[in-house]
Amino acid sequence: MAYQLLRFALASRHPETRMFRTPDRLGETYDVVVIGAGGHGLAAAYYLARDHGVRKVAVLDRGYIGGGNTGRNTTIIRSNYLTPEGVAFYDQSVSLWQDLAQDFDLNLFYSTRGHYTLAHTDSAVRTMRWRAEVNKHLGVRSELVGPEEVKRACPRIDLDCGGHAPILGALFHAPGAIARHDAVAWGYGRGASQRGVEIHQQTEVTGIDVEAGRVKGVHTTRGYVSTRKVLCAVAGFTPRVTHMVGIRTPIYVHPLQAMVSEPMKPWLDPILVSGSLHVYVSQSARGELVMGASLDPYEVQSTRSTLDFTEGLAAHMLDMFPFLSHVRVNRQWAGMADMTPDFAPVMGKTPVEGFYLDAGWGTWGFKATPVCGKTMSYTVATDRTHELIRAFSLSRFERYELTGEKGAASVGH
Amino acid sequence: MTARLPVVEGEWIDRSRGVPFTFDGQRFEGYAGDVPASALWAAGVRVLGRSFKYHRPRGVLSFANHDVNTLMQAGARLNFRADVEGLEPGMALTAVNTAGTAARDGLRILDRLSAFLPVGFYYKAFHRPKGLAPFWENVFRRVTGLGRVDFSTPRLATPKRYDFADVLVVGAGPSGLRAALRAGQAGARVVLVDENARIGGSLGYQRGGERRSRDTLVELEAAIAALPNVSVRPGTLAAGWYADHWVPLVDASRMTKLRAKAVVVAQGVFEQPAVFRNNDIPGVMLASAAQRLMYRYAVKPMHVALVLTANAEGYRAALDLLANGVEVAAVVDLRQRADDEAAEAAVIARGVRVLHGHCVFEAEARADRLVAARVCPLDDSGEPRTSHAIHVACDGILMSVGWAPAAALLYQSGCVMRYDTAVEQFVPAKLAPGVFAAGRVNGVHDLEARLLDGERAGAEAAAWAGFHTDPVPAVPGLTSTPSHPWPIVGHPGGKNFVDFDEDLQVRDFLDAAQEGFDNIELLKRFTTVGMGPSQGKHSNMNAIRILARIRGQSPGEVGTTTARPFFHPVPLSHLAGRGFTARRETPVHERHERLGAAWMQAGIWLRPEYYREADRPKAECVRAEIRAVRSGVGLIDVGTLGKMELHGPDAAAFLERLYTGRFAGLKVGMSRYGLMTDETGVVIDDGVIARLADEHFYFTTTTTGAAAVYCEAQRWNAIWKLRVGLVNVTGAFAAVNLAGPRSRTVLARLGTQDLSRDAFPYLGVRETEVGGIPARVMRVGFVGELGYEIHVPAQYGACLWDRLMEAGREFDIRPFGVEAQRALRLEKGHVIIGQDTDGLTTADEAGLGWAVRMEKPFFVGKRSLEIIRKRGARQTLVGFELDPGSSAVPLECHLVIRDGEIAGRVTSVLESETLGRTVGLVFVRPELAKEGTRLEIRVDGGAIVAATVVRTPFYDPDGARQEPEHE
Amino acid sequence: MKLLRCPVNGARPVSEFVYGGEVREMPGDACTDAEWADYVFNRSGIPGVKIEWWYHVASGTWFLAKRDVAADHVLQTWLPGEEVPE
Repeated sequence: MAYQLLRFALASRHPETRMFRTPDRLGETYDVVVIGAGGHGLAAAYYLARDHGVRKVAVLDRGYIGGGNTGRNTTIIRSNYLTPEGVAFYDQSVSLWQDLAQDFDLNLFYSTRGHYTLAHTDSAVRTMRWRAEVNKHLGVRSELVGPEEVKRACPRIDLDCGGHAPILGALFHAPGAIARHDAVAWGYGRGASQRGVEIHQQTEVTGIDVEAGRVKGVHTTRGYVSTRKVLCAVAGFTPRVTHMVGIRTPIYVHPLQAMVSEPMKPWLDPILVSGSLHVYVSQSARGELVMGASLDPYEVQSTRSTLDFTEGLAAHMLDMFPFLSHVRVNRQWAGMADMTPDFAPVMGKTPVEGFYLDAGWGTWGFKATPVCGKTMSYTVATDRTHELIRAFSLSRFERYELTGEKGAASVGH
Repeated sequence: MTARLPVVEGEWIDRSRGVPFTFDGQRFEGYAGDVPASALWAAGVRVLGRSFKYHRPRGVLSFANHDVNTLMQAGARLNFRADVEGLEPGMALTAVNTAGTAARDGLRILDRLSAFLPVGFYYKAFHRPKGLAPFWENVFRRVTGLGRVDFSTPRLATPKRYDFADVLVVGAGPSGLRAALRAGQAGARVVLVDENARIGGSLGYQRGGERRSRDTLVELEAAIAALPNVSVRPGTLAAGWYADHWVPLVDASRMTKLRAKAVVVAQGVFEQPAVFRNNDIPGVMLASAAQRLMYRYAVKPMHVALVLTANAEGYRAALDLLANGVEVAAVVDLRQRADDEAAEAAVIARGVRVLHGHCVFEAEARADRLVAARVCPLDDSGEPRTSHAIHVACDGILMSVGWAPAAALLYQSGCVMRYDTAVEQFVPAKLAPGVFAAGRVNGVHDLEARLLDGERAGAEAAAWAGFHTDPVPAVPGLTSTPSHPWPIVGHPGGKNFVDFDEDLQVRDFLDAAQEGFDNIELLKRFTTVGMGPSQGKHSNMNAIRILARIRGQSPGEVGTTTARPFFHPVPLSHLAGRGFTARRETPVHERHERLGAAWMQAGIWLRPEYYREADRPKAECVRAEIRAVRSGVGLIDVGTLGKMELHGPDAAAFLERLYTGRFAGLKVGMSRYGLMTDETGVVIDDGVIARLADEHFYFTTTTTGAAAVYCEAQRWNAIWKLRVGLVNVTGAFAAVNLAGPRSRTVLARLGTQDLSRDAFPYLGVRETEVGGIPARVMRVGFVGELGYEIHVPAQYGACLWDRLMEAGREFDIRPFGVEAQRALRLEKGHVIIGQDTDGLTTADEAGLGWAVRMEKPFFVGKRSLEIIRKRGARQTLVGFELDPGSSAVPLECHLVIRDGEIAGRVTSVLESETLGRTVGLVFVRPELAKEGTRLEIRVDGGAIVAATVVRTPFYDPDGARQEPEHE
Repeated sequence: MKLLRCPVNGARPVSEFVYGGEVREMPGDACTDAEWADYVFNRSGIPGVKIEWWYHVASGTWFLAKRDVAADHVLQTWLPGEEVPE
């Protein structure tokens, strides 16, 4: 609703300009080709143009702006990770988020709501304390709290969860937020477009030319372009693109599903996540409950929905909130999550010179959009790995130096 | 004042049963069979709700379950769909999303806010200045949303059902009825569902003032009722299509999950609104809504109607109005020429004025009620000539300008749709295997053709399901075009609504496209068209038409958005059902209960954390349990451990591959610690492996690891093909650990086994009897005392427990729980996999390198460990002792800090009464692992406490207490 | 996919099964560290028809399935060591 109102405002104050230009045809050569016009790809293009003066950039997408996981996630933003490198990275992202609406002059409906990761077992309590301690050490506002604090923040919750999984505590993360996901892509897209970046929608990459170990050009459904630098930011489509350049990665693709209720008057202020019950839920500005669960249990490279997902999630929602029995689920959907073995992304340079990866975003990519744009644009522009993403290199697997996020592998990413 | 008609043949209401209810505090009475909207309309109520965004007054639109404007609060039921859900006696209904009542809504948000902020600035102020954003957000959270949750609502445990059918027919209109009949006649088991309270679909209400369709319905109903293999289920929603024809059928009381061999989708079409200024005023409705009002609920929809049409159905609707005493002021036809002359002639014959090539330019309201329409001729380019406007007084406008297929289930099944300009509608181009479409959803509109199309689809579906039927002749072609390609009239004043859920006007689409949101997906996301409760049922088609015109494309080129489940919203209670949570109890569970166990969850198991004693805090109870084990004898239920039985000539070889240690040389009657790593070299499980015979092993796994270890072990052997049989006997055995210096004495009283050191050494295993129960007894040392793990068939578990407790009574035997066990093993320096290790820990890092035998040719994880050993450990698990007199005791997962950096993490900690000091295990960087290294640990509140790295075990480092001499 | 055909027990709801990942050939002893790491971590993430491990939990049966991972459609299932059915 609010977004709609905003648009009116823009319309009434400015002559109506296009948010993004639609170039008639593909150029012959670009300094950088970004594959994927989602939040990550557009953010990288935006910062390439804004911060690094690289303006001959083409962003290609087989579909449309923000049509992949950018538009399918449940929009949770947080930085309460387990490893120092993870926390530092996501914390940088959270601070970038704060000014994004001003940068774009676009309301992203960024809403700091506080984020509770519920612990139902003593081992979960231990993990929450671990995360809280690492977060605090790095100046991130996280705290292990008891059930009474959960009750204070969400007075309606059944702390017993129907008797199945009593809540023993929670990791409270004060900066936890939600935002209007589509607007993030549009904001970056507009900013990039204004700075000369070309966004080509409905332009599918069909091949990448590599000669003597370095990128030469990109074949698309709308013709060939030559370029020496390609940034791949395509989430669940990553393996298809890395396959084109002959790179093997640990990325595997499982669907992640979500569902949304009919709108109701707001009653749920914070964002709640339960690892044991496989639930995450927040209430949007429209009054809808936006709900997700854990990853689907096996590989599927499509966005099909399952009934099992809604059944399981509904049962667990009612464990936590029995009074929602009459609330109706409006819609379900799915995205393709590009998972990695250690629940951390794969970013930076690759064995193919000029081919850069921003991938492995699994179920946790939305929150990192700004910092990915920042770090990847730096890495692409300078061909030097940005400090914040060193731990996320593709080569870490071969070196058996997985990130510690795997240490407490659980849902809730 | 009532607008009830005299009895209408086929009406759904029961006039003998009045149903009193209230709406916004006012009392009304309807009939059984009414929906709230029909009863209110009959009572002359015109404002049934307010729109989502602008809080405009709204009445009925469709009576087809997409009237978001008639969502109501019905007690605890929120967003009650008053256009389709049954009226119940005593209902207290209120409009949602209003401050006050629907008629007097105080919440006119735009008016209010614009009073102190100019409109443009107000929107910008949302995000700028930044500091104000949270304020605006709170304002919005107060006014957003529709219904209100009643927090006293109990969890509804709505049971689910399962069902099967050869052919599922969705939609019981003419084509669906005929499809079900035909498939049923072929012998198929047919389930026919329809979301409406009664079957018949449009046969019941699109009568064109004649008897024919009604008679057809009666005939079909009778024919189907005669078939016992056809189950007819009205009031049942097919909420979605999922893979393998798995369809949730949702009715008022439950969800039935049905699997069909074939599915016939005969859900018909949604009538689409015409778009003109004020097309949302109460009194403007779809023609089908007026027909439903008359023929289902016997309610006169208006006194004087104007029918805006572009197809034959509009004329037929006019005839229906006339047949029920409604005056028709005019039929306004967007087309220059009607293509069904018979219907037009019949209307004209009744003296009705027909205006071809005209449109309704705007509707006019007074006091929230429709009073007139401004009708304009259309010029050659299809634009209204406002200079020639005519004023037509009316209190109702029927819109009959076209249809959109109810194709959600088809889309979900993977059907490819194409736009057919002959019908100006999307129709199936390529259906998914086993899915069939019939009737109007298939682009077939004439009644006779729909019946025939149903017949064809029913025959095809039956054949697909394996029932022979004769082929059905092809369906005749169209006689008219049912939908108008452009039922949209611009107006400088706007308020010409495309999406009634979201209050979207034509201008919104033009603006959105101009800003670059000019493909259908972006348009949907930017405008939110189709994202409200009715999910685009009345709005998507017009949005596509508008976008197509903007882009100069056909609707087919623009394409549609994806129709995801659910078809209509489904309550969480129905989806959740009763809810099942797996929970396991050991055979001794009830004994623990009696002993006052405080329960904790261990995976899906329940285990006693400790045993409660009156007036004693938990810590004291646990200490008492520890003392009992250290000084006397204690008994713990370890029946949750995974238990595996392994037989076969290659059994030892199998274990050598599965575990890191050596087992080929393990003597019969002895056991050994087993450590398991995954292929990346990470520790995943451990247990005790006992050799009962040359080719027979019995081994345990962790409680939570049992299922995964069993599964993985089986997979490995599917690859290795060793000659072994592996059985998971976790549930078949009960197990207890009898531990403490007195354990031998207690056990000796119950058995014949020689328990002397030589006859039954540490780590020995004996198959014997305990208290007359056949048992496997293992001498173990997990808690650091002389101890016996006794495994017996599950049915004897409670009996074994009783006998041990009885035999131990004179030694004050005490049951102990998980908490005491954790403390005891920590004193002994034993690691718990999962607590003292994490998802990246290697055996070396956990100090378990001694259990890894790299000289073996192969074990799972070996190759990775070789690589990791070259790299070196990143952390090392060591023991620590807290400085005496420390201000606080660290907790598990508190961090070790060195030079301002994180240098480690506590994994286990205990204020040990036994040792008289606080000890624990801690991961530290390898350079800090040396004995005597000083550590600084940050505790709650940020204080630092000091500790020293010490060697483990903390307790009884020589293991002397594990021998019987210590009794 | 809602139903999966276990070669021993016939068609059963997919909820009774556990996915075991794509079948991968373990490299021999002589492999390099890099080849081993590739085996352990890397996957063929592209869509297509793959041969996968599946496990029927209720009966403890591991079997192989040829599945189109884009359409989520199983073409064949068979027991390890058996010939791939036509």
